[in-house]
Amino acid sequence: MELAAGVAGATDLARAQTAFSLAFHICFAVFGVGMPWLLLYTEGRWVRTGDPGWLALTKKWSRAFAVLFAVGAVSGTVLSFEFGLLWPAFMARYGGVLGLSFTLEGFAFFAEAVFLGMYLYGWRRLSPRVHWLTLWPIAIAGTLSTVFIITANAWMNVPGHVREVDGTVVSAEPLAPFLSPAAPAQVVHMLLAALMCTGGVVAGIYAVGMLRGRRDVYHQRGLRIGLTAVLGCAPLQFVSGDLAARVVGARQPLKLAAMEGLLRTQRGAPLTIGGFYDESTGRVRFGLELPKLLSLLEGFHTDHRITGLDAAPPADRPNALLVHSAFTLMVGLGSALLALAALVTLVMVRRRRRGQRPLLPTGRLWLWAAVGTGPAAMLAMLAGWEVTEGGRQPWIVYGRMRVADAVTSSPGVGWTFAGTVTLYLGLAGALLLILRRMATGGPGPDVPPTPVAPIPVPPTPVPRDDGEHRDEQAPSTPHRPRRPDRQAPDRQRPERQRPGRRRRVPVGGGTDR
Amino acid sequence: MTAADLLLLVMVGGLTAYALLAGADFGAGVWDLFARGRDAADQRRLIAAALGPVWEANHVWLIFVLVALFSGFSEAFGIIGSTLEVPLLAALVGIVLRGSAYVYRAYGGGAAGPDHWWGRVFAAASTITPFALGVTGAALATGDLAPAAPWRPCTNAFGLVCGLFAVTVTAFLAAVYLCRDAATAPTTAHLVPGLRRRALGGALASGALAAVLLPLLWSDAPVVAHRFAERSIPFAVASAIGGMAALALLWRRRFTAARIAAGLAVAGVLWGWAAAQYPDLVVGRSTATSAAAPEANLVALLIAIGLGMAVIVPSMVLLFRLFSHPDVSDGHGPG
Ligand code: HDD
Ligand code: HEM
Ligand code: HEM
Repeated sequence: MELAAGVAGATDLARAQTAFSLAFHICFAVFGVGMPWLLLYTEGRWVRTGDPGWLALTKKWSRAFAVLFAVGAVSGTVLSFEFGLLWPAFMARYGGVLGLSFTLEGFAFFAEAVFLGMYLYGWRRLSPRVHWLTLWPIAIAGTLSTVFIITANAWMNVPGHVREVDGTVVSAEPLAPFLSPAAPAQVVHMLLAALMCTGGVVAGIYAVGMLRGRRDVYHQRGLRIGLTAVLGCAPLQFVSGDLAARVVGARQPLKLAAMEGLLRTQRGAPLTIGGFYDESTGRVRFGLELPKLLSLLEGFHTDHRITGLDAAPPADRPNALLVHSAFTLMVGLGSALLALAALVTLVMVRRRRRGQRPLLPTGRLWLWAAVGTGPAAMLAMLAGWEVTEGGRQPWIVYGRMRVADAVTSSPGVGWTFAGTVTLYLGLAGALLLILRRMATGGPGPDVPPTPVAPIPVPPTPVPRDDGEHRDEQAPSTPHRPRRPDRQAPDRQRPERQRPGRRRRVPVGGGTDR
Repeated sequence: MTAADLLLLVMVGGLTAYALLAGADFGAGVWDLFARGRDAADQRRLIAAALGPVWEANHVWLIFVLVALFSGFSEAFGIIGSTLEVPLLAALVGIVLRGSAYVYRAYGGGAAGPDHWWGRVFAAASTITPFALGVTGAALATGDLAPAAPWRPCTNAFGLVCGLFAVTVTAFLAAVYLCRDAATAPTTAHLVPGLRRRALGGALASGALAAVLLPLLWSDAPVVAHRFAERSIPFAVASAIGGMAALALLWRRRFTAARIAAGLAVAGVLWGWAAAQYPDLVVGRSTATSAAAPEANLVALLIAIGLGMAVIVPSMVLLFRLFSHPDVSDGHGPG
């Protein structure tokens, strides 16, 4: 008995640890997926037009991207170790099945890291066009890495194409994860989520800037691009979410029951929006119940039979309170974003008819709404993962392996978890400070609009040893001429930096942050 | 040769790449930690400039090896995960802190605490990680581990000396690589003598530690030691020749050639160990045959790896050529 309690405790801790580190990772990984696509657009505009405003946006974003990517990469590395540390039995049994997905994912990481190195450090070594081209492999690899990892997750949700005898995999089709029926909907849904999160956060940052009175072209462009991504994807996300729910209904009926808070298996099942699932009564309290709608949505017929939680013994049911709440949150936020998208489109059409510019409404209320899109998308994304993972319980691989059988027996999980939380929260806090610094101000916050920076400022007493800011500290060459306006980039190899017609470019664009 | 053996060979190749590339990055962090004197700031700057464009790509080799391990030899991964938590967690903390601290220092502009604090975190983490990985490797050779005794790998002399050896070797590699980097530009040429001294010292220290390790190997990991005597002598000789050649070339300031010789010295040790370890993955607990995934999956993995490498290796060559001359004034990111 005591042993069982010990195992249960360890399982909960291991789950909490997994959930926490995955959630942390995904918050950064979405930028790894979405940011390169946005950068492709802004830098592409710069390469084509030579407009310094586009360069300024590109540079600012690429700096933020560099930091986000690095944190995403290290937290992802933790995950790949953690699977072995926390779920040794799971990895020992199914590592081979998921192998192809993870291996291909590894190559996607290689490609991302290699070309990101070129992109971030190649500004002065590559021509603008080639520099822009290095974004393509980054963007494609980021997207592919999502595809690969999500197929692994989809296989855990709807496993198949594997033959097991007495708990040992005797043969597995190498492509098993890619053949999971859950894969297509999940992949599309996650990719859209990544774009929405990136777009929402970008839009939010520029909206805050505009609320603070910076209503220049730079901010308007940032806002426009961000909003296009988050609001443009919102309708598609709705459709793909609906698709995902249909797959869940067909393949993971208990997950659907938990999502909807449906206890009784029945025909003509109602759709319940909001509210809290009450385990003691098996009903959703404070929810809005729409009769027969769930059956209609799932089976296109009001008589469609929907499996309820009662199809499984209580110990084998997912936590419906959690899953239903998370699902409500995701769908609620998704619908709100959809509504915002519709409103913005409407207003833009009207402004266009009247010949007003800019098309995008930028009143305070609109800006506040734009600020909200970032947190809304991130929250919806995290809630969606709670639905997916929580709704699969108590299985780690649906119908094949229970979470409790997969967990490590190590005694130290509590300490590890506490350590992880402390470390990650510390790093996240520091990162927020850095990003806030990057986000404040216009194209380059270090560049005062008028060059007030006194020229003879001695180098900072603290030696900065990163080689950045060559203007202030390149002590090996301390006597280089300084230019008060610090438009450093074309100091070296200007001929390579920009083709002739773009000599005029660097106004504002040449600044670092 | 079976598919499992071929995959093992590929993994040793990946491990070699990790040791020679990311190892040098870690070693550079070690020198960042021990940078002293008048040139300390310049030296740190050179290190940062050399690492910037490549460290993330170099780091992925670890993920590659890890993924190959759990895809191809899941059982071994399960055992490693449940017995080597302590050194692995230490390595993880090191990896996380190193990567974050590096970018926080490079891009933070002091917004999250003084940059030189992050510099110290980066340097300390760069030292912890190879140490922990060295301890892990030693435990695979001794097989002296148990699920209920997580601290066991860190309490025997062989493991600890292996950890120290790993740190020394990475520091040696880094110093050799940095000599060449520093020598390419007039702005950094004044760093060469100091780096050269460090490289020579690193070579001698690594050699001395290797001499200490051999008797410990016999007493703590007899199974591997026997196979080492049977199979690994050619690798040990190659390593020794590489080490000597590196010393001589450093002495004569032939830094590019010294890089290759140093690489051979390190790779020789790794290959010697790998050859002696085979067919055990974790001695006494898991072998290549017992742990291997079904043949069809292994073949699929190998095909995927072949295709992947065909894309990645040329890209990496391109990356290294593009940044073969680190420029301390190049700075970070967009500039
Ligand atoms: C921006 C984020 C976002 C938004 C607005 C939505 N979702 Fe979502 N949803 C996700 C982000 C997400 C996610 C985090 O990306 C998940 C988790 C796993 C996955 O593949 O996607 C997810 C999972 C997920 C699942 C579970 C899939 C499974 O377990 O196989 C369903 C049924 C839905 N979603 C349905 C919807 C519906 C009907 C939405 C209506 C608006 C919706 N989602 C909006
Ligand atoms: C929905 C789930 C996930 C998505 C969409 C995702 C996506 C990504 C992306 C885009 C990156 C590139 C780094 C960045 O841009 O920040 C990344 C990095 C990484 N991820 Fe994830 N990931 C997910 C889950 C996982 C899981 C479960 C694992 C562990 C098995 C993992 C392991 C890694 C590793 C090791 C890296 C580092 C790669 C590097 O160094 O470049 N990821 N992930
Ligand atoms: C990156 C986005 C993801 C998030 C935020 C996430 C979230 C979660 C959560 C909340 C749990 C705990 C469930 C519970 O105990 O109620 C969990 C468990 C788990 N997830 Fe995910 N997940 C993500 C992606 C993935 C992927 C891509 C994989 C595999 C390839 C995966 C594998 C697992 C495993 C092995 C567990 C532990 C067993 C379990 O509790 O089911 N997760 N995850």
